[in-house]
Amino acid sequence: MTRVRELLRHKWILVLLLVVVWIVLATVLKGVHTLELPTAKNTPVTQWLTDFASSIRGNRTESPAFVYFFNPIRATIAAFIEAIRSVISVPGAGNVIPLIGWLGTLSIIGYIVYVTSNLRTSLLSMGLLLACGVLGMWTFTMDTLAMTMGAVFLSLAIGLPLGIWAGLNDKVMKVFRPGLDLAQILPTLVYLAPLALVFLIGIAAATIATLIYSIPICIRITAHAVRSLRAGPVEAAVSMGSTKMQLLRKVQLPMAKQTIILGVNQTTLAALSFVVIAALIGAPGLGKPVVDALVIRNVGDGVVAGLAVVFLAVMLDRATTAAVIKNNTFVRDTGKARTKRRIGLIVGGVLTIVAVVLSRQVLWAAVFPEQLNFGKQIASVADAVATWFTTTFYFFTTTFNEYFTVTFLNPLEGVLANSPWYVTVIMIALLAAIIGGRGVAILSLVLLTIVVLIGLWNDTMISLAQILLATLLTMIIGIVLGVMAGRSERVEKALKPFLDAGQTLPAFVYLVPVLALFGPTRFAAIVCGVFYAAPVVVRMVADGVRGGPPEMVEAATSAGSTPVQVITKVQLPASKKSLLLGANQGLIFVLAVIVIGGFVGAGGLGYLVIVGQSKPELAGKGLAAGLAIVLLGIVLDRITQASARRSGNPGG
Amino acid sequence: MSDETPVSAAADPAAAISVRALWKVFGPSADKVVGTPLADLTRKELLNETGCVAAVRDVSFDVAPGEVFVVMGLSGSGKSTLVRCLTRLIEPTAGSVLVSGEDILKASPSRLRELRRTQFSMVFQHFGLLPHRRVIDNIAYSLEINGVKKEARHARANEVIELVGLHGYGNSYPEQLSGGMQQRVGLARALAVDPKVMFLDEPFSALDPLIRRDMQAEVMRLHRDLGKTMVFITHDLAEAMKVGDRIAIMRDGAVVQMGTPEDLVANPADDYVADFTRDIPKSHVLCLHAIARPLADGEDLDGPELDGGMVIRDATPTILEARRAVKVVQNGQFLGVVTPDDVLRLISGDVDAVTAQEAETGP
Repeated sequence: MTRVRELLRHKWILVLLLVVVWIVLATVLKGVHTLELPTAKNTPVTQWLTDFASSIRGNRTESPAFVYFFNPIRATIAAFIEAIRSVISVPGAGNVIPLIGWLGTLSIIGYIVYVTSNLRTSLLSMGLLLACGVLGMWTFTMDTLAMTMGAVFLSLAIGLPLGIWAGLNDKVMKVFRPGLDLAQILPTLVYLAPLALVFLIGIAAATIATLIYSIPICIRITAHAVRSLRAGPVEAAVSMGSTKMQLLRKVQLPMAKQTIILGVNQTTLAALSFVVIAALIGAPGLGKPVVDALVIRNVGDGVVAGLAVVFLAVMLDRATTAAVIKNNTFVRDTGKARTKRRIGLIVGGVLTIVAVVLSRQVLWAAVFPEQLNFGKQIASVADAVATWFTTTFYFFTTTFNEYFTVTFLNPLEGVLANSPWYVTVIMIALLAAIIGGRGVAILSLVLLTIVVLIGLWNDTMISLAQILLATLLTMIIGIVLGVMAGRSERVEKALKPFLDAGQTLPAFVYLVPVLALFGPTRFAAIVCGVFYAAPVVVRMVADGVRGGPPEMVEAATSAGSTPVQVITKVQLPASKKSLLLGANQGLIFVLAVIVIGGFVGAGGLGYLVIVGQSKPELAGKGLAAGLAIVLLGIVLDRITQASARRSGNPGG
Repeated sequence: MSDETPVSAAADPAAAISVRALWKVFGPSADKVVGTPLADLTRKELLNETGCVAAVRDVSFDVAPGEVFVVMGLSGSGKSTLVRCLTRLIEPTAGSVLVSGEDILKASPSRLRELRRTQFSMVFQHFGLLPHRRVIDNIAYSLEINGVKKEARHARANEVIELVGLHGYGNSYPEQLSGGMQQRVGLARALAVDPKVMFLDEPFSALDPLIRRDMQAEVMRLHRDLGKTMVFITHDLAEAMKVGDRIAIMRDGAVVQMGTPEDLVANPADDYVADFTRDIPKSHVLCLHAIARPLADGEDLDGPELDGGMVIRDATPTILEARRAVKVVQNGQFLGVVTPDDVLRLISGDVDAVTAQEAETGP
């Protein structure tokens, strides 16, 4: 008896017991009370939301809230973005070409990058933009660039002051924090439908959605930059009698500059990745051909557009990262280096002006030359490669896909979705209680019950099954690669380009190759999620493993541990907290992508969001699915956060 | 002889700085401690009872114009909090701080800024230089925020650059300089406004021992040349003895003893102070009057005559040369004699102390 009680003290045994009970219950009660609902059918809640949506559509021209608030915002933002577009991408009224032709735009961007970083990065940036043109995507690329630049400009205009304010004032930070935290776990797809409803499908809604996504990132990093300044110089400046304004202008902002530029980098990449996805609600640019290709499963066109997104992302990342590196030191050039730089700036400026003038006068400099457009050829090569790959590696792309689905995914879906809803809700709440404590358990119970009441229980569980499996795979890959990278600098160096790419590329572009290889399946969505989330987890695990004191490993090695013992008995337990935080991040990232996976036949909530987008009679269902995604995200986030917090403090 | 006079109850308006009953309590009910029975509790009792920490407890002292006043204590003794209370970088809980007769605790924010810009300046342990500014603009910072035109402030900055031996480094950035050089910038910056009082918070603790010695000499030279009033914080008693006219020893937020270096070595107030001073070579601090004794039988009074205020170390060659009792006289008064044996006995006591210390801490 005491032995049993002793055993029950271990959390993992409790969890195991619970899972066994759960599986037995699910098997016995298979197919009972699963709350399954055909896609085309509404529940009372979704019907009400559908009516609400159509009443909003009806009110758009009359209701004062729209006439005096939403519509003017929409018009202003659309005008702002259109103004940028008319300069670089689409001809304004009465013109045949944009204000500046492609050569001029290319030179201006190259020159801006040269001014903010260096010649090498400038040449690289121009090369990457040129490559987008060669892919036949010049105008789409310029549209995306215009949207991104406009969104970044607005994000910084709003985010920098708020971030500085939150960095200086703890109370402000406290007010902002819940919003910032929520923004971090909300999957991108969720914003789209409500914004499209209020601001109409189009540029304005896409831009506002992008802002909602990128402003919190800007605020967070800026506040962190101001907050984490070394105390010494600030105190010294106060001791010399600086006013608050002098302190901010002459000390805090200059010192925080480097981290703030890093914030610009992150804001830019976030904006780009969202602008691509925002094609779903009418954003012009590269997202559009990607979506089109996904819809008709045209691999070649998808690859061409996806490559252009990748080039643009790499270009924006390199350019802003180079600006961060340039600001790594406060020391300015003097003497010869300075003179050389000045000459470079003048020569570059003159060349840029010549290019701009040319691009307004001569046709080949105004419109990207058709001779340089190899988009069609590249698309057919991509098609051929994809076909070759899927036939040659049939084992991997089809056999393994089916094996995985039958062995793991279907049984898990069976337990979660194909059993009575009350069993699942109670089991999840009990698990939450064991892992995260009473508060988290009650929260899970309440939020999951809301999902049931909305009527989207079954779809939510289908998504959850994919999310859990993808997270599990992500964690296995993340821990293996993360431990290797944490222990060996060679491995880390080898992985770095992939990790960088993984954190730079918009989630959307992963869909293209994955869809080509695995077809429209749930497995494809899971692979997508793993691709997207693994880099973050690898980074966090590697940091955790490396973070321990080196004496710890030395002591274990000198005591005669084998490398495996060092990993399993010392390094992994010591980095338990970062492993759990990694699991949390992995879950959030996976969630964001699995939902988008609705696009490639993964079903579940994401599919409902997309259907709601295209069919007005199901608009309410799309909105409700968005809400269910948020609730599910909060539950998963809270449970993993709580377990990380608990492991961080063994006494409590 | 002792310079130590008990601090009078009323503040001294003639002093450069006059501190009375200064308290700094950190914690949830910080303002409910001073003036209540809670104030009499020890630090630990207070923490258990109220959750408050008394970082500075009932500190009073006067600093004369031109004096170097050292506050010495171990980490956590409250010395850094004390010096920040003097310029209100940390707001004191109770008490008064008079600088040239003005109570700065009553100064308005703008008056406080003005005082900081013109009357006092501070040197920090970790230098606190602005990394994005050249040396010259670091030094000119306080002039700049006070509205001095660029040409004038750079001229002044160049003056102090020469003064602290930074010639040729005006256009460098702090990160290009060594620690010692950075602290010279810190000193120059503090001198640039020609302040009445300088506060130095462990200015050399972050430096290597050799550099530290140079910088101590530098500060003493600057003090000799410019005669600034200084409040100098340190955890190193040897440093305190070297630079200080008077030293206050702090423990748990309170001053346990205040006096000249000689007082502290000769008459430690309690075991805590005695523990500190044990390792100080007495011959470097004590003066002849401290060991002068009456003439013993069989000794002659025909030796040379030395001043009682002379440090024993400096007098040693003369005494050893004389090979007999030396007369100690101060202000025309005969205090007694000192023989070579007396000096050797004292120094060998020092040697014991020094070897004991090295055995404990390693060379």
